[in-house]
Amino acid sequence: MATVTLSNVVKRFGAFTVVHGASMDIKDGEFVVFVGPSGCGKSTLLRMVAGLEDISGGDIAIGGKLVNDVEPAERGIAMVFQSYALYPHMSVEQNLSFGLRMTGNPKADTDRRVKRAAEILRISELMERRPKKLSGGQRQRVAIGRAIVREPQVFLFDEPLSNLDAELRVQMRVEISRLHKELGATMIYVTHDQTEAMTLADRIVVLRAGHIEQIGRPLDLYDNPDNLFVAGFVGSPKMNFIKAHIVGQDARGVVVELAGQDNARIVQPLTDVTPEVGSKVIVGVRPEHFGGAGEGDTDLVVAIDVIEHLGGTSFLYARTKNGEDVVIQRDAAKVPTTSEITVSIRKSYLFDEKGLRLR
Amino acid sequence: MRNRNATAYRFLTPYLLIFAIFWVWPIISSFIISFQATRTVPWRFAPSFNWGRLIGDPAFFNALKNTLLILVIQVPVMIALAMVMAVLLNSPLLKARGLYRFAFFAPVVVGEVAYSAVFRLMFSLDFGIVNKLLNSIGLPKIDWFSNVTPAMALIMIAVTWRWAGYNAIILLAGMQSIPEDVYEAATLDRVSKLKQFFYITLPLLKPVIVFCLVLSIIGTMQLFTEPFLITERGGPGGGTETLGLLLYRQGFRSLNFGYASAVAYTMAGLAIAITLLQLWLTREKQ
Repeated sequence: MATVTLSNVVKRFGAFTVVHGASMDIKDGEFVVFVGPSGCGKSTLLRMVAGLEDISGGDIAIGGKLVNDVEPAERGIAMVFQSYALYPHMSVEQNLSFGLRMTGNPKADTDRRVKRAAEILRISELMERRPKKLSGGQRQRVAIGRAIVREPQVFLFDEPLSNLDAELRVQMRVEISRLHKELGATMIYVTHDQTEAMTLADRIVVLRAGHIEQIGRPLDLYDNPDNLFVAGFVGSPKMNFIKAHIVGQDARGVVVELAGQDNARIVQPLTDVTPEVGSKVIVGVRPEHFGGAGEGDTDLVVAIDVIEHLGGTSFLYARTKNGEDVVIQRDAAKVPTTSEITVSIRKSYLFDEKGLRLR
Repeated sequence: MRNRNATAYRFLTPYLLIFAIFWVWPIISSFIISFQATRTVPWRFAPSFNWGRLIGDPAFFNALKNTLLILVIQVPVMIALAMVMAVLLNSPLLKARGLYRFAFFAPVVVGEVAYSAVFRLMFSLDFGIVNKLLNSIGLPKIDWFSNVTPAMALIMIAVTWRWAGYNAIILLAGMQSIPEDVYEAATLDRVSKLKQFFYITLPLLKPVIVFCLVLSIIGTMQLFTEPFLITERGGPGGGTETLGLLLYRQGFRSLNFGYASAVAYTMAGLAIAITLLQLWLTREKQ
């Protein structure tokens, strides 16, 4: 078990910078997820921790020891790859034991570690099979098993569930969570799937274009995003954004009028900043924060385009009078039958024109 | 569906006709001819005439011995060399990779006569660069064309020069199809580069290596150009005569088509047998 510290880590490919000074402290035994859209630098950051990519600047320490120039094999990490990276010509047992055998680890110890990993992952009956005779989920278990036998200080997962179908993903997500509890090891997990991030992480690191946008616990990011990107990225369906401007201030906070709406005003209590009257802002509303008419600050009339029925919950895909798309969450029992409805905003977030949260 | 098939076959007819006349028929015809005495007029059916002669013909066994010797020594050396070249070409440290790839592949596209002429000059006893180099490091000159062993070595060197790069390119393509993350996983598993080569690259390249071996075996069984042009029709004294050359000598110089056909079928049979043995030995064990 170990801490991982990144201090101003930079990665450049020629003149192109893909990671701009990433810094974070990962605690011993913590499960941290790097999340972000494709090309945001999350896998590169993970590979730099692994030592598979050189760093262009900054420091990486594992267990308090600077590892900038330490070989990947000597960093005390194990990695699970997106494509599993199993040795195709070896049986499951050989895949698990290969690294230990090649480094002259005593056979008894190798056998013990392989047996333990197989038991943890429930793959004992697959030991003689080759990877091509395994399902996607089984291959992923073997890949994780190969990491377990190394008994590393830090586990690194690079989008390990991306190649699995939806059902198996959920199942493996639970398994990885269980594994983390069982092993208590420090784990860093990369994904572009915010649901995976929300369900697995102790803390999430949201990345965009090589910059860390926000680090926090899953619900902190959901309830208290720092900017439009995090607000939009975390949560499914994503947060709705409605253009607005500041019209004044009262005792409760700033008064915001939604663009293109007839006198639709909300009040936002702000403590840190006081935006100027007339300045343009963006109001963020999560789908579940729309209420029925009269339940919130202000009412909006929206035209419904499509209704998605998911069983207990339904999502209404609608447009405001201003033509802005909004998604509204409703209990299945309360799905409207008319094409135009009035909704209210019960809770909202305010962002400035640059996308930064106004608090 | 039947109509569609009929249309497809109509389009294929010109090709199939040419294929049948110039490919299928010669194969059948030479098989029939191999059972005929073709040095009499008219030819007559005599099954043991050619096949019987084959069994007792010292020239055939000499050619067979030479061919197999080249096969056993040159093919493994060439494939090993091709593997080394492929590893070097695959190195991320290598600059101007495209240039090297072209250079290694170039011998295949050089005209056979031109390359043979150059080899004859290079290995010439008195003014060849090879002997000059040997002399310069204190070794005696070698008469590459007058003694059997150096002549055989020369044939093997020439064939290796011509085909090693070609095989290296095939092996390189195979190497590049092995996913990089398998090596990364091995690196994290603390497996050294050398062990990665022997325990990952080689086993995963096995199908490609077998392919190269099969191609090389077939090519060597048919070897003709080098002993014909470089060592002057299998010289010295038949010392580098191969089955391909024997076939040519019998068929087109002695006009003994029946015996040449029997030799041709023997070559094909041997190539098939050796290839099947090779495939059986390297089959994937379940």
